[in-house]
Amino acid sequence: MPVSLVVAPDPGDTSDRELARALMAGSPWAIAETWNRFAPAVIMFATRTLGSESEAEDVAQEVFHRVFVKARTLRAPERLRSFIFSFAIRLLKTELRRRKTRAWLSFQRPETLVDLGGELMDMESRDLLRRFYALLDRLAPRHRLVFALRHLESMTVDEIAAHMELSISTVKRALERATSKLTIWIEADPGLAGFLDEKGFLR
Amino acid sequence: MTTTGESRGRRALAALAGMARGSARPPTPAQLDSGLAALRSRLNAGPAQRSAGRSSIMRWSLVGTLAATAALVAMGVVRSGPSRLPAPSELPALTYRVEGGNLGDGGYLQESGRGGIKLFFSEGTEFILKPGTRSRLRAVDASGARIAIEHGAASFLVTPAPATDRRWQVDVGPFLVTVKGTVFTVSWDAATETFDLKLRHGSVTVRGPATGGEIALRAGQRLLINLPQGETVISEQKPDEWIDAPAGPAARAAAPPAERPSAASDRPAALAGKSAPTSRAGKLDPARLDNDRRWTGALAAGHLDRILAEAEQAGLRATLDRASSDDLLALADAARYRRRMDLARDALLAERRRFPASPRSLDGAFRLGRVEEASDRGLARAIEWYDEYLTRAPTGTYASEALGRKMTLMSKLGGPSRARPFAEEYLRRFPGGTYAGPARAFVRAP
Repeated sequence: MPVSLVVAPDPGDTSDRELARALMAGSPWAIAETWNRFAPAVIMFATRTLGSESEAEDVAQEVFHRVFVKARTLRAPERLRSFIFSFAIRLLKTELRRRKTRAWLSFQRPETLVDLGGELMDMESRDLLRRFYALLDRLAPRHRLVFALRHLESMTVDEIAAHMELSISTVKRALERATSKLTIWIEADPGLAGFLDEKGFLR
Repeated sequence: MTTTGESRGRRALAALAGMARGSARPPTPAQLDSGLAALRSRLNAGPAQRSAGRSSIMRWSLVGTLAATAALVAMGVVRSGPSRLPAPSELPALTYRVEGGNLGDGGYLQESGRGGIKLFFSEGTEFILKPGTRSRLRAVDASGARIAIEHGAASFLVTPAPATDRRWQVDVGPFLVTVKGTVFTVSWDAATETFDLKLRHGSVTVRGPATGGEIALRAGQRLLINLPQGETVISEQKPDEWIDAPAGPAARAAAPPAERPSAASDRPAALAGKSAPTSRAGKLDPARLDNDRRWTGALAAGHLDRILAEAEQAGLRATLDRASSDDLLALADAARYRRRMDLARDALLAERRRFPASPRSLDGAFRLGRVEEASDRGLARAIEWYDEYLTRAPTGTYASEALGRKMTLMSKLGGPSRARPFAEEYLRRFPGGTYAGPARAFVRAP
C-alpha cells in the first residue's frame, strides 16, 4: 500500500498570505499563530496610544476577536497585518471617544491612569509620562490618534490617511492642530519643560 | 509665544513622545499565553462576550446615559454592566454592586477603607476581596464576569446556574481560573510568586505557568504552586481548613450534596490512581522536545536554571536540532541572562538556520548582536548583526535600538567622528528615540 508522508508546515514559517488563507479556511493552528505573530505589536501599539498596559490587553482581545470572527471578509490575504491594524485603529478610536464621553459625564476629571514602563522606568520618568498622557487626554480623539500614529508609531502621513480612511490634508491638519495644542500646553505647564531640561532631554 | 519658546516646547514634545514610544514593553510569553487562552474561551463561547468596560456607554443613547448617570449618582456606589448584545441564551444582564470601595479607571477596584471590597452580582454571586488586595474588574456582561487579582487574596461564591452558559474567570497573577458554580478562595503573592487555591465546592480549572496544561480541581482540593521552586502540589483539604471560604447564601446554593468530596470517580483524570498530596513538579520529559512553547512560561517565571538544566539533560545538540522556535528563543534568553553566551549564540543561530522565514529569525539577528556585545568575540561581530537586522528589517521592532547600538559601538571603536554619520541617521529617523540624546552629543562633538 503506497504511503505518502505529508509534513505539516511549521506555523512560524508561514508567510502572512498563507496564514491569512489558513485563517479564512478555519485552520485551528492559524488562530494561535496569528495571535502570537501580531498580538505583541497590537498590544504595544494600544499601550502607547492609551498609556495603559492593562487597557491595551483588553483592546487586543477585542481586536483579535473581531479579526477572527471577520476573517472570511479579508479580500487581500497578503494584507493581513494591515487588516488587523485597521481593526486596532478603529477600536482605539472608539475607546478614546468612550473616555471622552466618560470624562464629560463625570463631575470631576478622572486622574490619568498610566501604567506603562513598569519597573524599567524611574519614578520621575513615570510622572513625566503621566503628565504627558494627561495632555493627550485633552485632545480630540481623532487628533490624538493621528498624533499617536505619527509620533508614537512612526507611521507616514500617507499610511495614517489610508488606515484611518481620511484624506491626506485632513491628516495633516489634525497633526498640526494636535502638535500646536500640545506644544502650547507643555509651555504652560511650569514644571514639565523645565524638568525635561534638567534631565537633559532639551539639550 | 516667542520662536525660542515654541522651539523649546516642540523639543519637549518630541522628548515626551520619544519617552512614551520607548515605554511600552512587549508582552511576556505568559501574558501572550493567557491572552490566547482568554481569546479561545470567547471564541468558543460565541459572539456575545464583550468587555464591560467599553461596552456600556457607547450603545446607550445620550438621554439614556444621562438618566442612568443620574441614577448612579443617586445610588452612590452602584454600577451596572449591561451587555451590548443579547447573549445566545437570552440571559438577563448582570448588574453588580461594589461595597467598601469603588471602580476606577481601567476597572481597578480602589479600596475606600480597610475592610476589603465586596462585589455582589444580581444573580447571587459574590466576590470578597481581602484588605490590601489589588484587583481589576476586566469584564462584566450577560455571560459572566472576569476579574484580575494582581496581588492579594479573594474568596468567590459563584452561584451555580447549570441551565446557562455563564462563565466566570479569575486572572490570578499569571494563572487563569475558570469556574462555574463554585466556592473557593484564591491568593497570589507577587513577591514570592506563590499561587494558592482552596476549592470548597464545585469545580474549577487552572491554567498557567507550571501547570503543564489545564489542571481540573474538584471540591475539597487545594492547589499550591510555587513558581520559583517549580513546585505544583494538589492536596486534599480537611473541612476545618475551609475557614477562608465564607458560607453566605451563594455558598449554600453552590454546595449541592453530590459535589461533596468523596467519590473516587470525581477525581480528574490527571490524578486518577494517585494519592494526595500529588506533586506535578519536576523535569519535563525530554521526549517531549517537539512540543512547542514548553519553556516560554518557565522563562516568564524566571526559571532560567531549570531551562538550562533541562536542555542539558535532553542534550544540547538534540535540543538545538529539535526544539520549537519559541523554545529556542527562550533558551537563548535564559543562557544570555546566565551569561552563557556561547549557548545563547548557538540557540539563536539554530533559530535562524531552522526557521529562516520566520519574523523571529530577524529578531534573532538583533539578539545575536546583543550576545556578541557581551561576549569575547568583539564589537565588530555585533555591528555586523545589527547591520543584518537593519538591512532586512529597516522599520522593524528593534530598528531604533539596532541603529542606536551600532552608533554606540562605532564610537567605542573609532571615537565620536566615526559615530557621527550614524548619529545623524538616527536623529533623522528616530528624532525622539532613546538614543537621541547621545546622538546629538555625537553630532555636536568636534
